[in-house]
Amino acid sequence: MTVSDYVIQTRDLSKRYGSKLALRHLDLNVPRGRIHAIVGANGAGKSTLFRILLGFLPPTAGDARILGRDSQRLTPDDRGRIGFVNEEHTLPGWMSVQAITAAHRRLYPRWDQQLFDEVLGHYHVLPTQKVSQLSRGERAGFNLALALAQGPELLVLDEPTLGLDVVAKRAFLEALMYSNGSDDCTVIYCSHQMDEIERVADNLIILEQGELANMSPPEDFVARVTYWVADVPFKGPDPRTVPGLLQVQRLDGLHHYLVLDQDDSFADFLRAAGARSINSMPVGLDRAVNGFLAKNHAAPSAA
Amino acid sequence: MLDILKAEFRRFLSWAAVYAAAQFMVLMFFTRVVDMAQQPDEVYFVIAALHALTGALLGLFQMGGYRRPNAWLNLLHRPLAHWRIALALLAAGTALLLIAILLPLLATAAWQELMTPRVLDLRHVGLCIAGFGIAVIGYLTGAAAMLVPRRTAAAPLVFLALLPSAFATGTGFIALQALVMAWLLALTLAAFKPDLGSAPRGAAGVLLAAPLQVLMWLLLVMAGFGFELLWIAQGTHPNNLASAPAGSAKQADNAEGSDLLIEGLASSSAADAPLWREQAAISDVVTLGVGIPVNPVWNELGNRAPMEFDDEQRRIRWVFSHDLGRFVGYRLADREAIGELGVAGGSRFPSPPLPGPRGLLIGRDTLHEFDGETQRVLPRLSLADGEVIAGIDLTGERLAVLSDRALYLFDARPLSLDSTPLATHQRVPLPGATGNLTRVDIMELLDGHLVSFGMTRQRHNGQGPSFQQIVRVDAQGRVEKVARRELTTGYGPLFTWQTWWMSPLIDQSLGALRHLFAPYQPGHAVSPPPRPDRVRWLAGLLMALSLLAAGLHVRRTNLRRTGRVAWCLACGAVGVPALMALWLAIPRRESMQMSSAAAPALA
Repeated sequence: MTVSDYVIQTRDLSKRYGSKLALRHLDLNVPRGRIHAIVGANGAGKSTLFRILLGFLPPTAGDARILGRDSQRLTPDDRGRIGFVNEEHTLPGWMSVQAITAAHRRLYPRWDQQLFDEVLGHYHVLPTQKVSQLSRGERAGFNLALALAQGPELLVLDEPTLGLDVVAKRAFLEALMYSNGSDDCTVIYCSHQMDEIERVADNLIILEQGELANMSPPEDFVARVTYWVADVPFKGPDPRTVPGLLQVQRLDGLHHYLVLDQDDSFADFLRAAGARSINSMPVGLDRAVNGFLAKNHAAPSAA
Repeated sequence: MLDILKAEFRRFLSWAAVYAAAQFMVLMFFTRVVDMAQQPDEVYFVIAALHALTGALLGLFQMGGYRRPNAWLNLLHRPLAHWRIALALLAAGTALLLIAILLPLLATAAWQELMTPRVLDLRHVGLCIAGFGIAVIGYLTGAAAMLVPRRTAAAPLVFLALLPSAFATGTGFIALQALVMAWLLALTLAAFKPDLGSAPRGAAGVLLAAPLQVLMWLLLVMAGFGFELLWIAQGTHPNNLASAPAGSAKQADNAEGSDLLIEGLASSSAADAPLWREQAAISDVVTLGVGIPVNPVWNELGNRAPMEFDDEQRRIRWVFSHDLGRFVGYRLADREAIGELGVAGGSRFPSPPLPGPRGLLIGRDTLHEFDGETQRVLPRLSLADGEVIAGIDLTGERLAVLSDRALYLFDARPLSLDSTPLATHQRVPLPGATGNLTRVDIMELLDGHLVSFGMTRQRHNGQGPSFQQIVRVDAQGRVEKVARRELTTGYGPLFTWQTWWMSPLIDQSLGALRHLFAPYQPGHAVSPPPRPDRVRWLAGLLMALSLLAAGLHVRRTNLRRTGRVAWCLACGAVGVPALMALWLAIPRRESMQMSSAAAPALA
């Protein structure tokens, strides 16, 4: 792949806030096209990454490029090629929908009115309504319509459905997935909602404590995580010796193991540990990602 | 860009309209009660402070709302240059202030002009514009304070803090405002960038660094003031002792005129000194000071005192019009206009006159007298060669006129008898600058006068000397120095020159900037004594140490070579305030091995 084939490239990117490293030596190459989901626990560095990529924060070390341009040197024209929607859907509450739309139409040369109408058609929004009169879901839809109609090459959605109810969330995802706008641009979708990721993402990027922990299609990642239930007498094997362990629980006398990158040989491990019966089963994306992220989650030290 | 401007304008339009209506009602109320065009400067200062506060709150609120990370990202992440977005927002804010501040002021002025016989000059329109200018400066201050890095947020306040100390007036003050506005606008535009956590770079860095250094200097000065308060509380401050020490400037300032002459003559070698001391104990001694340190000038914005006087016999109020150069009268009973009053009939005054005692009208270099019987104004004296009147005293049959160069003594008896100009009896040159003159004490002798000059003003800050000088002037006007004594201040050189040694460059620069676009005024002229060597050494040492510390600090920052050199030079030239500014504006570079103690503040 050439440089222009990547919409996002970071090399050894690090960002320090005081004594904490938000990003550590991140090497990330996001190819052009498709919908890429970025997930990670709170504090994993997602927002920091976006702020650096859009030039709003300088890196401590390393460099970042977006659409081939050094992120600290973006021009107004570059910004016109990058759409951004965040969870607050910050829009001027005192202005009407039609006034904001008209302003965007004048501002963006690739404005697609038909696409705007198509996306906004998923919501009951009147042109004369003020933004402050819109519900949170309608505001999210309006914001998405504005972002898509700008005709961006890259659209960054930073937890766009946060705080939306089920209906509004579904409307938002449908508007994103079934409009033509998202076909022509690369979408970076950041969310904690795995059901959404499962529906929209072609590529799953997991950030963990500022580092790239996974980049693959979601189904490939799910295939790496397996769930095992074993009847092991007594305490079972020492968790430190369990290969690929993400989670372990003991329920009703049975040991439940969530493990990463383990094939059938894991059954042999359990048998060697004294397991009398063993069952394995696949897991959903939600369980897989949550288990993966919870692996290194901070916990209070034992008293 | 226009869309942003219109959107931002609509955002606050209703608030601006409410503010404008409220201000108009308040101004109209006061206009019904008093003549707002003839108020002393203090009234305008309070109004200006409110306008500045209004502007600052708008700037803080407007930019504060956008400064939140997501809002900031949404505002700036669009295909428009940042400076164009900033200009659109600032233009909207300025237009709103125009509605909220300037329109009510102009409407009130128009009402006064059209509906009352009161005087309204072009300078009053200038005053309205200056009020608007103050609001815009406050607005830009608030906006800039919100956009520069947090650690330096107070730097833009320097302009608002120092502007009242400027001596400029009229168009000069408006020009000064324009300069301040231009600086703040440039600073705001430079700070209006995606990364709010870092200071403006390159040449734009000066826009923040310079006011920040002045702010640090002001903080050091305030620390000195705090030290002085502690000194006063302790009870050992030279100005707050139970009794002023003998031979001190404080004692000379507070003494009765006769006592001061007796003290001053104690060391005199004049043959008649013992006799004069005895006479001083029983004679009347007239004391006057620099009563008019700031003389009215054409088209000044404010009034040191109302430019009006009342003819009590005819119940007429005469108000001076700068535009006409004459007084304009109206009857107090029915507010009917009754005409104009000029010099010797209807001529323009040579300079705006300040009403004084007994119908005297004190101009810049002339003294006129208003005769209530004939309703005429006649010139009574004129100083020569551009001298400016700084005070007068009319006691009994003697008129003493203090100019910025000399004391004049006149026979005042013709004032109420004829219309001829007064003839100079005696002229006594001042022994120093008018701005350092605290008091003049005059004792009449059989064949002249004994005059004591107390030169103690501004002794506390190194801007003035501290001595008393006594001269004798005979009936023929010959002047002879008979005594001089140095007066102790008790401050010590480190306290006296504290503002200087903290940063000679800033102290001298601000002193010079106070006079920018300002007319000459006698009260502003000072004659500082030479600075002691140890004060100079201290200043030099602090500058050298600042340079050294700056050299160490800049190596650990992200500054480029030119930036490092510039900051080191600034610290060497400015001293400690520049070093403090460097530490605040340019934190140590983030590093992967950085310790938490050395971490910079988050944006």
